[in-house]
Amino acid sequence: MSVKAQVRKIHDYLYEIPPQGRMRVPARLFVDERALRELTEQSSQEWNALEQLKNVATLPGIQKAAMAMADIHPGYGFPIGGVAAFDPKEGVISVAGVGFDINCGVRCLRTTLFRKDLEGKEERLADTMYQVIPAGLGSTGELKLSTKEIDRVLREGAHYAVGLGYGREDDLTYIEETGRLPDADPTVVSNTAKQRQLAQVGTLGSGNHYVEVQVVDQVYDAKAAEAYGLELGQIVIMLHTGSRALGHQIGTDYLPFLDKATKKYGIEVPDRELVCAPIESPEGRQYYRAVMAGANCAFANRQVLAHLVRQAFWKALQVPDTAIETLYEVAHNTVKFEVHEVDGERKRLLVHRKGSTRAFGPGRPELPERYRAVGQPVLVGGTMGTASYILRGTELGMRETFGTALHGAGRAKSRRAAKKAYPADEIVRRLREQGIIVRAHGKASISEEAPGAYKDVDHVVDVMCNAGIVARVARLRPIICLKG
Amino acid sequence: MPYEYLEHQADIGLEATGATLEEALRDGVTGLLNLLVDVETVEPREEVAVQASAEDAGALFVSLLNAVLATIDLRGMFFREFRITRAEQVNGRWIAEGVLTGEPIDLSRHAVEIEVKAATYGGFLAEQTDRGWRFRCILDI
Repeated sequence: MSVKAQVRKIHDYLYEIPPQGRMRVPARLFVDERALRELTEQSSQEWNALEQLKNVATLPGIQKAAMAMADIHPGYGFPIGGVAAFDPKEGVISVAGVGFDINCGVRCLRTTLFRKDLEGKEERLADTMYQVIPAGLGSTGELKLSTKEIDRVLREGAHYAVGLGYGREDDLTYIEETGRLPDADPTVVSNTAKQRQLAQVGTLGSGNHYVEVQVVDQVYDAKAAEAYGLELGQIVIMLHTGSRALGHQIGTDYLPFLDKATKKYGIEVPDRELVCAPIESPEGRQYYRAVMAGANCAFANRQVLAHLVRQAFWKALQVPDTAIETLYEVAHNTVKFEVHEVDGERKRLLVHRKGSTRAFGPGRPELPERYRAVGQPVLVGGTMGTASYILRGTELGMRETFGTALHGAGRAKSRRAAKKAYPADEIVRRLREQGIIVRAHGKASISEEAPGAYKDVDHVVDVMCNAGIVARVARLRPIICLKG
Repeated sequence: MPYEYLEHQADIGLEATGATLEEALRDGVTGLLNLLVDVETVEPREEVAVQASAEDAGALFVSLLNAVLATIDLRGMFFREFRITRAEQVNGRWIAEGVLTGEPIDLSRHAVEIEVKAATYGGFLAEQTDRGWRFRCILDI
């Protein structure tokens, strides 16, 4: 049966593939008809997102459904834009459900500046950001650590960075998990992983990572915007990066480790990248503790980068660091224990989010007090030339998607196709005509990350909002974009 | 073609073929090095040994690519070439050894392309035919 024939419509923004073959639960997609058509057309390709989502639905202990958000595209093992929750007793923990860039995420900083304050100063700020923020392959950070200090990064996350003078205590309140996951264990992270990270704390990386200066160009929800401290015309900064080489090495080390565990526990996986271990097995627990350490590294990394952003604003414009506050920080590649309702029963579940954002609705105790009444800020990164969004989590999202939403526009074109279609110089020129300044360390970053390489972010956000999983708060337009 | 980049919507597929195990592994590493940086801008000044081991030949391919990525960070060097010196199965374990040639990273001279986070088991393929070896995996970008 063709994939198209397998899909059942639940409503205009939700489709389902009922369990078939070894699938234990349905595969659910928050997409509209147009996006579904594209996905089914792509299903003849060797590596396609629908097949990957169906594969996730075969994993032991999976609850409710293997789900994908509107920014779904192929990954490795899990599709990007995916969420899968597992029962701790029967379920598994999987490398592919987290990815190699553990706890990759986005920090949003709000400023006391408005668009007019930057008039004529954009080039100076862009040049300073380019100098101050290490980015691109081969770059190193100003913070050079010993392996002992790396162990503290792995245990204490963003708190360690604040202790060293990078940023402020009040930043921590507005980071998911307050910037530190307690179950981290540096002893199960290899020396290679730690050594690779010694000079990489406070570096941006390349690929889809960026720092963007943006302006709030639309406010949709006055009450939530007030809670988030957002106003029309205000300048905000988004930074997107993850756990750098340390996270990559944890993934690398644990891939063969969990490959062995998969065989040991007789778990059948349809794709070798889906190697996993029972959550409560010694192997599963060990990988979990390693991932928590990797996640803390990402928290620390973004904290140092937030400090560097403040430094750049001071150097270029003499804006004091007190004028730049953390609005919120969300993570994209995570696995965490959370309590959710399944079939009317509150259950502790292990939730894998791969290229998707936690999007908790109002009232959840995990949210900072200031935001608790309106729900969690959900930061959706656009592309260099298009809008980004600040959304908020909803009660429906808590029930439908384990409090999960989209993380970005989602890729539409392969890197090679984008490279051919979008010469870097032309992209820079075209964006400049739109009033957007781009600085990049590698030319490939510009071509491969060109706005046309991504889906239409406005449309993807529309779908998720129409489905009721998130609600719009504000739209942001880019002014300066720094790439690796 | 000894190595080939394959279409993937977000990441990059890498396929390497060779008449022997050594050749296929070497060409896979060459494909990886050429993705990261314009190798013509990297001088062959220093040699660094690299090794990998795994439970099967396909996992060895992935493991070797990851060992090369780790070496770049650990040594702070870019590499122009890879010479393979050993690839075999010993007591049920697959082992590869080789030598990378390059120099310390100098961002004023080296034309960097894109960072590869890791070689994954995604898109995994490892086969031995009468024409030699063929490996494939998705590289996380």
